[in-house]
Amino acid sequence: MDTTSPLLELRNVAKQFGGIQALVGIDFDVRPGEVHALVGENGAGKSTMMKILAGVIPEYEGTMVWKGRPVRLRNPRHALDLGIAMIHQELSVMPELTVAENIFLGRQPLRAGTVDWARMFREAEAVLAELGFDHVNVREPLERYPLGVHQLSEIARALTSGAELIIMDEPTSALSPMETRHLLELTRELAATGKSVVYISHFLEEVTWVADRVTVLRDGRKIATLEARKTDKQELVRLMLGKEAAFFEESYMSGRDVEDPHAGARPVLTLERLTRPRAFSDVSFTLHAGEILGLYGLIGSGHFELGEAIYGLHRPTAGRILLEGQPVPAGPRRAIDRGVAYVPPSRRSGLFLEKPIYQNVTLPWLAQISGLVPQVPKEVRVTDEVIRRVGVRPPDPQKEVLYLSGGNQQKVAIARWLVRPPKVFVVSEPTRGMDVGAKEEVMKILHELSEAGVAVLLISSEPETVLAASERILVMAKGRIVREFVGETVTKEQLLHAASGELAEAR
Amino acid sequence: MSTPNDDSPKPTPRWRAFLAKSREFAPVWTLLALILFFSVYSDSFLSLENAANILNQVALLAIMGTGITFVLLTAQIDLSVSYMATFAGVVAAYYTAGHLPQPWPIVAALLAAGALGWINGVGTARLGIPSFMVTLAMSLIASGLSLYLTRGRILFELPALSETLGSGRIFGVKWLVIVAALTLLVGHLVLKYTRFGRYVYMTGASPKAAELAGVNTKGVITAVMVIGALTAGLAGVVGIGRLGSATPTAFDGMLIDAIGAVVLGGTSLFGGVGGIPQTIVGLLILGVLRNGLDQVSVDIYMKTLITGIILLAALVFNILFAGRKEA
Ligand SMILES: Nc1ncnc2c1ncn2[C@@H]1O[C@H](COP(=O)(O)OP(=O)(O)OP(=O)(O)O)[C@@H](O)[C@H]1O
Ligand SMILES: [Mg+2]
Repeated sequence: MDTTSPLLELRNVAKQFGGIQALVGIDFDVRPGEVHALVGENGAGKSTMMKILAGVIPEYEGTMVWKGRPVRLRNPRHALDLGIAMIHQELSVMPELTVAENIFLGRQPLRAGTVDWARMFREAEAVLAELGFDHVNVREPLERYPLGVHQLSEIARALTSGAELIIMDEPTSALSPMETRHLLELTRELAATGKSVVYISHFLEEVTWVADRVTVLRDGRKIATLEARKTDKQELVRLMLGKEAAFFEESYMSGRDVEDPHAGARPVLTLERLTRPRAFSDVSFTLHAGEILGLYGLIGSGHFELGEAIYGLHRPTAGRILLEGQPVPAGPRRAIDRGVAYVPPSRRSGLFLEKPIYQNVTLPWLAQISGLVPQVPKEVRVTDEVIRRVGVRPPDPQKEVLYLSGGNQQKVAIARWLVRPPKVFVVSEPTRGMDVGAKEEVMKILHELSEAGVAVLLISSEPETVLAASERILVMAKGRIVREFVGETVTKEQLLHAASGELAEAR
Repeated sequence: MSTPNDDSPKPTPRWRAFLAKSREFAPVWTLLALILFFSVYSDSFLSLENAANILNQVALLAIMGTGITFVLLTAQIDLSVSYMATFAGVVAAYYTAGHLPQPWPIVAALLAAGALGWINGVGTARLGIPSFMVTLAMSLIASGLSLYLTRGRILFELPALSETLGSGRIFGVKWLVIVAALTLLVGHLVLKYTRFGRYVYMTGASPKAAELAGVNTKGVITAVMVIGALTAGLAGVVGIGRLGSATPTAFDGMLIDAIGAVVLGGTSLFGGVGGIPQTIVGLLILGVLRNGLDQVSVDIYMKTLITGIILLAALVFNILFAGRKEA
């Protein structure tokens, strides 16, 4: 291991938000050419620590040392000038601009005082190709592409900034396994050329693969810094949670028995030859009461759009959606009233960040909770109960969602639907950005709901997520259902193979 | 390194937190500062009589401003309010002259304004035309209708109710001020204490998230555009009583003041933040400024310039305040 002096150091750093101690007495260092992973539960303080490194949070206690000199960053620009770039957990892309512009935001190559478009497109294509993303047309607006590409352009932006230290806050949360693989390899290459990376992820497999050292945070304190080679997932989980997570070991990454205990159960939702051009075609399946049906597909395979269609967000051009035998009229309001609940794949689009948690939770239920005149104390009481059930921390209904950590925001998005248990619960990427403990809690909630008779459709591009909870798994590729797994042992590899192998065939 | 920085780290200054908090109250400080300033520099400013004057001067703006507050809270804008006010005044006078029995001319005026607002709403919410464009077109339509009905003349026959509410008094208080206060009060109650009010705020905060939570956002936006038009219509109906006549351009010039007052108070142009209390502060700032500038010896030709500069400062603040989100 490199024994030269660190590139960056934090000495006794602490940060308070109002009454909350987000970080306490943190000592941390990054060596040149090192990949240093940072792990910890939701709300442990990972993003806060990185925002200090990147100049986003200029006010804190303690000292930051960059190349041996104490510095106090004033803003992100200042950090970038020194050579520190950050990929934020909550994406900060501009969907209306082209992919290339997003990559070169604020520093477009110039020629004679105007933007050198040809060069910008060329260079953007080059970095995306390096990331294994050559099918993206950099001249198209970013909004034409799924979330994974948004995340990639943010990564590409940091990579091309020439920074010596790149901070990646959950860079893979919207990437497919293959894209993740590319990114991990690229991260190692970066380190080989002397750049340093701080890597935050809840996927411990990625962490142990990519990192040289791992630092574990818990409740704002540094628990340990370990050599990645000398540790494993179990140890990391134990350090993160302070206890063993039994669930994690048994269902993550290992095979899982998929059975069909609901073969005779009551059908609740039936899709008949549902088609929507450029999204999905000829999709038919039945969802039963008390079942958790996993719907797996790579990003862009149409599975998220299918979820939107069930919630009435847009109309399919052909086919029918039957809820208990009756067609569902379009529009979320009618869907909600008929007992359909929906969590969108990107939490930002489903939440009101500047509004308190309780207003986020009760919005669909205002009429039921308090009629024409909203009664805040009652709303707060209802909210308090559901956010405690999903384990939002801190469980303060009056707190604005903005001030919660990423994973806790996601829990709020789920908690909303526990106010009135739905008949059909369509959840897209419910555990994106969650730590192992929180994932376990969410899976437990889904199980409880299904045991109470709710039909759950679990849509995801993370094999672990569908494997962890589903009793039956459908695989989508190119808008079609290509495979169904029932009553057999399924592994991650099989899922991936079904989703990508059949994709190749379909071409 | 282009910007070396080795000033030794210092602890977080507390005054920063205080400043962040006080930003929210900036309009209130502005108002107090203005009152203080004019009290010192003019002998006639600080009196009960002058205070009543100021209220009377902002009363029509207050009625219009109530509706504009709803519109801005959903992140839309209405550039046709003052023209719809003129139009409503003209309709009321036109049918009074045409011997339609009272109160039908007033009912017709409000209905007509409401219909124009509904068109604004449908254009914005259903057809997806940006509200500033729909309402810009509507300002021409309303203006054109006023000219067409009056044939460019001034109408002097007004509904008796307009005359009472526009220039009458009860127990020494102007009816106009009472109507304005009631309009603000109803607006406040609707925004803060009804489900619809919550929908207005949430739609403005994030239309996409509101839709996902089952809010009929198109309906909400249509409704606020109708509310904006109805309060404008009410301003027109009582306004002609105050002027003593209905002209085809009577209230057209109030547009900037009406929107300005709401923004001065701190209601966000991006929706979701603000409300009637803010609008009241904004109205008072504008009223005190206009009135105070009359009392101190300022070059009469500078007044518009000064008001404009203050409005610009408020806009800058409004946008800075919206940028607070990234904390
Ligand atoms: N701007 C803020 N104001 C108030 N509290 C905050 C703010 N930002 C973070 N916090 C709090 O600080 C704590 C640490 O949050 P942070 O975002 O660093 O967690 P994290 O480790 O990144 O979690 P996650 O894995 O969920 O992203 C949380 O309790 C959070 O609620
Ligand atoms: Mg985080």
